[in-house]
Amino acid sequence: MFETLALNAPSWSDLRHFVPETVLVVTFLLALMADLFARGRRPAGPFALALGGCLVALAAAVSSLPAGPRSILGDLVVVDGLAGFFRVLFPLIGAITILFSWASGEIMGPRREHKGEFYALVALMAFGMCVMASAADLIMLYLSVELVSLTSYVMAGYMRTSLRSTEASLKYVIFGSVSSGVMLYGLSLLFGLTGETTFVEIRAALLAGRADNFALLVAMVFVLAGLGYKIAAVPFHFWCPDVYEGAPTPVTALFSVGPKAAGFALMIRFFYTTLLSPGGGQAAAGAAAPDGVIVGPADWPLLIAILSVVTMTYGNLVALRQTNVKRLLAYSSIAHVGYLLMGFLMLTAAGLEAILFYLLVYAIMNLGAFLFVIALNNRLGGEEISDYAGLSTRAPWVALMMMVFLLSLTGLPPTAGFIGKMYLFAEVINRHWFWLAVVGALNSVVSLFYYMKIAKAMYFTPGERAPLRLEPLHTAVLILLAAPTLALGVYWTPFKNFVDRAVAGFAGLGG
Amino acid sequence: MGEHVLSWMTFAPLVGMVVIAFLPRERPTLTKVVAAAAAAVPLLLAFQVFATFDRSTAEMQFVERGSWIAPFNIEYFMGIDGLSVTMVLLTALLSFLCIIASWRIDKAVKGYFALFLLLETGMMGVFCALDFFLFYVFWEVMLLPMYFLIGIWGGPRKEYAAIKFFLYTLAGSVLMLLAMLAFYFNVRNPDTGAHTFNMLHMMDQANHSPWLQLSHVRHLIWIALFIGFAIKVPIFPFHTWLPDAHVEAPTAVSVILAGVLLKMGTYGILRISYPMLPDAALWFAYPLAILGMINIIYGALCAMAQSDMKKLVAYSSISHMGYVLLGMSAFTTQGINGAVMQMFNHGTITAMLFLCVGVIYDRAHHRDIDGFGGLGLQMPVYTSVFSLALFAALGLPGLSGFISEALVFLGAFPTYRTITIISALGIVLGAAYVLWMLQRVFLGEKNPKYDSLPDISARELATLVPIAAVVVWVGVQPSPVLDLMRVTLNNLIATVGR
Amino acid sequence: MNAGLEHFLTVGALLFGLGVFAVLTRRNAVGLLMGVELILNAANLNFAAFARYVEHGIDGQVLAAFVIVLAAAEAAVALAIVLAMFRNFGTVHVDAVDRLRR
Repeated sequence: MFETLALNAPSWSDLRHFVPETVLVVTFLLALMADLFARGRRPAGPFALALGGCLVALAAAVSSLPAGPRSILGDLVVVDGLAGFFRVLFPLIGAITILFSWASGEIMGPRREHKGEFYALVALMAFGMCVMASAADLIMLYLSVELVSLTSYVMAGYMRTSLRSTEASLKYVIFGSVSSGVMLYGLSLLFGLTGETTFVEIRAALLAGRADNFALLVAMVFVLAGLGYKIAAVPFHFWCPDVYEGAPTPVTALFSVGPKAAGFALMIRFFYTTLLSPGGGQAAAGAAAPDGVIVGPADWPLLIAILSVVTMTYGNLVALRQTNVKRLLAYSSIAHVGYLLMGFLMLTAAGLEAILFYLLVYAIMNLGAFLFVIALNNRLGGEEISDYAGLSTRAPWVALMMMVFLLSLTGLPPTAGFIGKMYLFAEVINRHWFWLAVVGALNSVVSLFYYMKIAKAMYFTPGERAPLRLEPLHTAVLILLAAPTLALGVYWTPFKNFVDRAVAGFAGLGG
Repeated sequence: MGEHVLSWMTFAPLVGMVVIAFLPRERPTLTKVVAAAAAAVPLLLAFQVFATFDRSTAEMQFVERGSWIAPFNIEYFMGIDGLSVTMVLLTALLSFLCIIASWRIDKAVKGYFALFLLLETGMMGVFCALDFFLFYVFWEVMLLPMYFLIGIWGGPRKEYAAIKFFLYTLAGSVLMLLAMLAFYFNVRNPDTGAHTFNMLHMMDQANHSPWLQLSHVRHLIWIALFIGFAIKVPIFPFHTWLPDAHVEAPTAVSVILAGVLLKMGTYGILRISYPMLPDAALWFAYPLAILGMINIIYGALCAMAQSDMKKLVAYSSISHMGYVLLGMSAFTTQGINGAVMQMFNHGTITAMLFLCVGVIYDRAHHRDIDGFGGLGLQMPVYTSVFSLALFAALGLPGLSGFISEALVFLGAFPTYRTITIISALGIVLGAAYVLWMLQRVFLGEKNPKYDSLPDISARELATLVPIAAVVVWVGVQPSPVLDLMRVTLNNLIATVGR
Repeated sequence: MNAGLEHFLTVGALLFGLGVFAVLTRRNAVGLLMGVELILNAANLNFAAFARYVEHGIDGQVLAAFVIVLAAAEAAVALAIVLAMFRNFGTVHVDAVDRLRR
C-alpha cells in the first residue's frame, strides 16, 4: 500500500522516474532560447525542438509505464498508473497542437516577434499538466494548477493586437485567478483541519475523525470550485465560451482537451485519495454499492451527479443556439465534462477506466474537430457554421473527416466516441444510477441536433463550388486524427487494456 | 463464400461502398454498375439461403462466430433462423431492386450509391446479428445513410424530415442501449461465468441474475426496449416522423424505409423483447394489442384524408404495421405466423406502391391524387401493375396481403375478440382509401394535361415485376414462405406463450 | 489577551470576504486583481496560522511562501494582460471589453 512507503527525501535520482516531465522542461527552456536566434517567417528551430521534445517525452512515457505507485521528490509527486496514463496523453496532445499550429494563420500569421514562444509555451503547458496528474501534495497541487493557468492566460492572449484574443485572456485571467484563489482558501482550511499537506496523510487524518464535518464540507466545496473551473463544469464554466471563442483556434483546441483532462486527473487523484477510504475499487463487479467508503458528511456522489446532469444539460441546450463553431464546440465541451463526471461519481475502477478511455478518445476527436476549424479558418477567414456551406462538394474528403469527428462527438457507432460513451453508461447502469443514465442518454440525442447543424451546412446547404485545398500539413494531421477515431470504434481492445492497466496501478484505489 | 454466407451478404455492399468512394466522379454509370454488382451479391446469396435453409429446425443456421472485443465479451456472432431469414431475403431483394430503381439519380451519384450500400450493410447486419452489441452497432449504422439520403436527395422539406427522423430514432436507440447494458451486467455466459452480449444466452432465463428476475425491473427494461422499437415501427404515438420522412425521401429510399426499416421495429420486439423478457411481453400483450388496433384504424383514417399519394401510402404503412402488432400480441401460432408473414408481405407490397408512386412522380412531378384522372387509358400497363399492388394492399384473396391478414385475425380473435372485431374495420377502411384513390387517379375523366404521358418503361417494369411475382406467388401458394418461419415461430410461442 | 488561532482565522475570513466582495463589485481590472490578492493573502494567513497552531511544523509556512511567489508571478502575467487590454481597448474598465457574444 501507498501509506507504507517510507518518507522520501528528495534526491536527484528521483528524476529517473520523472523523465517525461524533465524532458518537457528542458524542451521548454531550449525552445525559448532557440527562439532568440530564430530567423525567417516561421520559427523552425523552436518548432522542431518543441515537437521533438514532446515526441521524446511521449516515447519516454510509453517506454516507462510505471508498475506501481512510487512516491518521489519528497512525497510531492507520486508516479503511478494514473500519472503514467496522463504523461502519455499530454505530450501527445502537445505534439498534435504544435503540429497544426505550424500552418495556422492565427499563430504564425500576424506580424509579431518571437513567434517561437508559442511552441515553448505548449511544451511548458504539457509539463504542467503532467505534474497536475501526479501531484500528491497540496503544494504541488497548487503549483501545478497555477503553472498551467499562467501558461494558459498567456496563450489565450497570444494574438496581442486582436481585440478578441485580448478579451479572452482578460476574462480567463480574472475568472481563473479568482477561482484558484478560492481553491487555495479551501486548501488552507483543509490543511488546518488535518494539519497535513500530502493527500494520503490528509485521508489518514480524516479517517481518524480529526475534522469538523461542516468545515470539511466548506473546504471541499472550495476545492471543487477551483478544479471545477479547470474542467469547466457548470456553475464554474462562465469563462469557457468567451475564452474558447476569443483565443486563437489552436489554443482553443489545446484548452478544450489538455487542461480539462489535467483537471480530471487532479480531481480524481485529490478526491479519491483524500475522501475514499482504502481498500476500495476491488469489490466484485455487479455490486450495487460503491466500492470505497466515503469519508465526510456529504453525499458526494449525489452532489456530483447533480453537477454532472446540470453541466451536460446546460452545455447541450446552450450549444443548440450557437452559430459560431468555436463557441458551439465550447458548449459541447462543457457537455462532455458532464458525461465524464458520470464516471467520476461511480467511485469504481470501471468508472475511472471509462473516464480515462473517454478522455483519450475525446482528445482525438475534439482536436480533430478543432483542427477542421483551424484549417478552414486559414482558407475562409471565419468560423461561422454558414461558412461551411457546400463544403461537401468543395472538399469532400475534408467534409467526410469532419463528419467522422461529429459522429464521434455525438457518440454514434462505429466511432471511438460511441465506445467511450458506452463505457461511461455501462458503469452508470452497472451501479444502478438509472435516472442519471437516462438523462445522459437523452442528452446525447440533444447533442446530435447541433452537431448535425454543421453536417447540414456541409452537405445540405448549397454554397460555393470552387474546390478548396487545405494546407497539406493540416490535411495530413486531419487524417492522422480521423483514422483512429474510426478505427477505435471498430477495435479498441489494446487501448482498453492500456487504460485498465493505468487504473489498476492507481494509488487512490489501493492499486 | 460457402462458410461465410451471412458475412458476404452483409459486407459485400460495404466493399462496394469503399470501391465507389474511389471511383472517378465523371463516370456515374460505372458507379451505378458497381453498386448494382455489390447489391447483387447478397441477392444471389439470398437464393442460396432460400434453397438450403433447413425448414425443420428452430436452431440458428449459417452461424459465424468469433471473438471481437475480449475485455468486454463482445463477439462477432451472426446467424439466422426462421424469423430473420424472411427479413434477410426481403432486404436482399428490395435493396437490389432499389439500386435499379435509382438509376436515374443524377445528383451526387457517388454519394447516393455509397450511402445506399452502407444502408444495406446496416440492414443486413441487424437481421443477422446474434450479439446484442453487434446488433446495436448495425442498428445505429443505418441511421446516418438514411439521414443523408433523405436530407440530400429528398423533397422540399428534406432537412426538416431528415433531422426529425434522425432525432426520433436516436432517442429510441439510446434507450435500447441502456437496456442492452442492463442486460449485459445481469446475464452470465453459463460456460465461462462472464457477462455476455450473446443474445442466445440472454434468451435463456436461467442465465439472468436475481436482480433481473424482479418483475418491476423487467417491466422497466421492456418499456425502454419497446420505446426504441416502437419509434422504428412506428407505433402510435411515436409515428409522426414517418409521414414527413416518406414524403420528402426519394422513391427508392421510401421503399427501403417502408419495406425494410419499419420491419426492424417489430423484428426487434420478436428477436429481443419477446424471448428475453417473456413474462413482461405477456404483461404488455393487451396494451400492445390496443396499440395495434389504434395503428390499424388511425393509419387507415389518416390515409383516407390524404391528397398526396405518397402520404397515403405512408399512412397505409402505419395501418398495415398495426396488423403485425395485433398478430404478435395474441400469442397464438396463427397470430405470430401471420405477423411475420405480414412483415414480409407488407415489405413487398408497400415497395410496389412506392415504386409505382415514384413512376408517376417522375413523369408528372407531383403526387396529388386529384391532379390526375383517367390514367387507365393513358398508361394501361402502369395501371394494371399499380392496381395489383393496391389490391394486394387491401387484402384481396389470391394476393399475399390476404394470407397474412387472415392469419392475424384468425390468431388474434380467440384472444381479443372486441379488439379484433374493431381492427377488422381497418380492412373496410383500407378498401375505401385504396378504391377511392384508384378511382380518382385511373378512372373517370382524362386530364388533358397528361395526354402525352408515356407508359411505364422497361427498367421501371423490371423493378416491379419481380416483386409482383412474389406477391402473387405468395398469395396463391404461401407455404414456401410459411415453411421458412413456422418451426421457429411455433417454438417462440411455445417458450414465450401462456 | 493573547491572539489565538481563532483570531487569525477571523482575520483570514474577513480578508477572504473582502476579496470576494472586491471581485464581485469592482469593474476596474486592477481593482479586481487587488481583490484576488486579498483572497490569496487570506489563504496565506490561514496557512501560517495553521502551521503554528495545528501542524506545529513548517509545511504550512512553506506553502505560504510558495503562494507569495506564485501570486507575484500571477500578478505579473495579469498586469501584462491588463496592459494589452489598455492598449487595445483604451480602458481598464472590464465592462467595456465585450466583443464576444454572451
